Amino acid sequence: MGRKLTNHPLYFAVFISFIILVVSPLVYVLLTIFFEKSPAGNFSLLISIDTLFLLFKSISIASAVAVLSTVFGTVLGFILYKTKIAFDGFFKVALLIPLFLSPYILAVAWKDFFVLLFGSSSFISSHTGLIIVLTTIYTPLSMLITGSALANINSQMEESGLVITNLRNMIFKIILPLIKPALLTSFVLVFIFSISEFSVASLFGLRVFTTEIFTQFSAFYNHSLAILQSALLIAICVLLLFSERKYISDAPFLSIDSRGTNKKLYPLKKHKLLVLAYLFLWFFTTVVFPFLVLFIQSFKGGTDKFFQAVELLLPTFSNSIALALLGAVLIVLVGFVSAFHSLNQNQKSNSFDNLLLLIFAIPSTVFGISLIKFYNNPGLDFIYSGFGIVLIAWVGKFSFIASKIIGNAIRQIPKSMDEAAQIEGVPFFTRQIKILVPLILPSLFAAFIIGFIFSLGELSTTIMVYPPGSELLPIKVFTIMANAPQSLTSSMSLIVFSLTLVLISGFFIMVKPLAKKYSSSND
Amino acid sequence: MIELKNISHSYGKNAVLHDFNLKLQANKLICLLGSSGSGKTTILRLIAGLETPQKGEITIDDNCLSKSGELLVEAHRRNIGFIFQDLALWPHFSVYKNIAFGLQQRKEQNIKESVLGMLDFFGLQKHADKFPHQLSGGQKQLVAISRSLVLNPKILLMDEPLANIDVKLKRKILDYIKSLKQKFNLSIVYVTHDHREAFAIADEVLVLNEGKIEDTGTVEQIKNSDNKFVKYFLEY
Repeated sequence: MGRKLTNHPLYFAVFISFIILVVSPLVYVLLTIFFEKSPAGNFSLLISIDTLFLLFKSISIASAVAVLSTVFGTVLGFILYKTKIAFDGFFKVALLIPLFLSPYILAVAWKDFFVLLFGSSSFISSHTGLIIVLTTIYTPLSMLITGSALANINSQMEESGLVITNLRNMIFKIILPLIKPALLTSFVLVFIFSISEFSVASLFGLRVFTTEIFTQFSAFYNHSLAILQSALLIAICVLLLFSERKYISDAPFLSIDSRGTNKKLYPLKKHKLLVLAYLFLWFFTTVVFPFLVLFIQSFKGGTDKFFQAVELLLPTFSNSIALALLGAVLIVLVGFVSAFHSLNQNQKSNSFDNLLLLIFAIPSTVFGISLIKFYNNPGLDFIYSGFGIVLIAWVGKFSFIASKIIGNAIRQIPKSMDEAAQIEGVPFFTRQIKILVPLILPSLFAAFIIGFIFSLGELSTTIMVYPPGSELLPIKVFTIMANAPQSLTSSMSLIVFSLTLVLISGFFIMVKPLAKKYSSSND
Repeated sequence: MIELKNISHSYGKNAVLHDFNLKLQANKLICLLGSSGSGKTTILRLIAGLETPQKGEITIDDNCLSKSGELLVEAHRRNIGFIFQDLALWPHFSVYKNIAFGLQQRKEQNIKESVLGMLDFFGLQKHADKFPHQLSGGQKQLVAISRSLVLNPKILLMDEPLANIDVKLKRKILDYIKSLKQKFNLSIVYVTHDHREAFAIADEVLVLNEGKIEDTGTVEQIKNSDNKFVKYFLEY
């Protein structure tokens, strides 16, 4: 859009800050592998049968979750984005709820559910249980990715297929190949999220690769082995991500608006009730049941434990919300600069986007270790001992998502909008503020809210980097629940669940008229 | 007079113009006629300063605007108006604001009078507070033209502005465009792939094919052209 932001001091300020604050720790930690005193001993531990078995187990679990989530997510995406179904607007938002909750909250709910129903949680606290829980958490992500791709298919492509074959063949021969980038993106991202996830396995008492890294780092203080194991995990995630990089960059995932697309919706006819029942079943299983179970468990023995949980968590609210708001602002800023830059660059020199993708792909525990190793030195203590390190962690983890949401929105604004202002003599920054920003406002807002909710609930990296003595919501819940009675754990989870529901509802209420206003004004 | 000298321009490996030369006389309505990929929009964008030619030189009234990859005069300093194919009306601004925005940025005097004058001229007064999506196709065209003309350009560049308009309305707007030249003392460069549009308004027509001028002349001269491509093009 006109003058490149790359030529502007703002771009350099954001880019250089990102390199120094977020990327340097990772580079530093990877370099330390080669300067360890006795790396050979750790290398032999790394390639031990036990470690390799753990890695194999984690890869198998993550693969299963990725396949299941992509399959279920595609079915849900098709129903919600390609068929004429009642309550589609409600389901598009409601089914996303598990994605915005910290995974351990849902894990607590599932555990409670099995205890309530069968008197034991041994089935759910198994590897199969882990796969089930993670699938319910990450299916909404697949739904969002494949749904956005399905919504962006030009109806004429489908109609030209329908002229020569039936609907079933058209879906398998035309629609699915067309959304191949989204399917691959869904698989890769869910795989990376699952292999990086540490809280659910930890809560279920399962030993997987990320819990092993956490144990080596936090319990045994074997930092060099933890770093070596981290490097292995980084290599796997980065290889997978960059092998599919082209698809992931092109996939229209997390589009808030599919402006200008000519969408075809299919009538469900006699299957309408069946499909609606499937949607309600999924909604009840992944959202309503967990909430009800937490509610029942919280108030089973009276209201004491619930109020005790409120009392425990209340002091964390102001800190957590203020920090998450600041985090969300920074995430949107980095995401905007990166998105703008990406659209003005060719694929090869798209350095900022690649860096965001790299940090995004790195497992949270590993990223946390990098930040600690880098900032835990006298010169950088002001970052290490304050909330600065937490903000850096969140910006690193979530800016890629913001960049994609904002990038998709910018891509939908015709270049001529900016050029028309350019010809009229409107300066670069005025064009950004008065033309571009208002047109992508719903997406900026969505990126802000998503950044806020994700930051507020982030546990895996935050638990490693949070300053001692500080009180943040997810940390407090997770640390207390290790030794707390079940009803207190459920009460705390219920509070976090409710807070997330309120935030999502608020987001939906606020963004709906905004999106409506701007989509109608762009017809 | 607009002059393009030895212009070469490509998008990646796709060379659109190669050693291209063109002289456009002032105060005329000149149509660049050609099919998709003939380079007509690129010529318009180069004149406007939205792109810089990789080789060659662009001058207006002997002032050099771009030379061999270097943008010497920025788009907004060329005193040019540009009507985009999609009109590029800012959807979040009212009709009034769309027209006034450029004047406000240039910190002009009497903005209100200028905008109201333009609204009056094009019969858009009662639509001043409406947003683009509340207007008909024809009204949007007029707002886009008003937005350009309010800045008093010497040259108006139009990139297939009637591509999405029905035939009846097209005739009406073509008559409007024709009258603008006299009323605003303009040079107009009008790009189209439709020879009927070109023949309806042009003082001079240039037929382009794959980045080269096949023929040039008045409407009558083009209609009677001996050029093989022109004959073929006009058949369809």
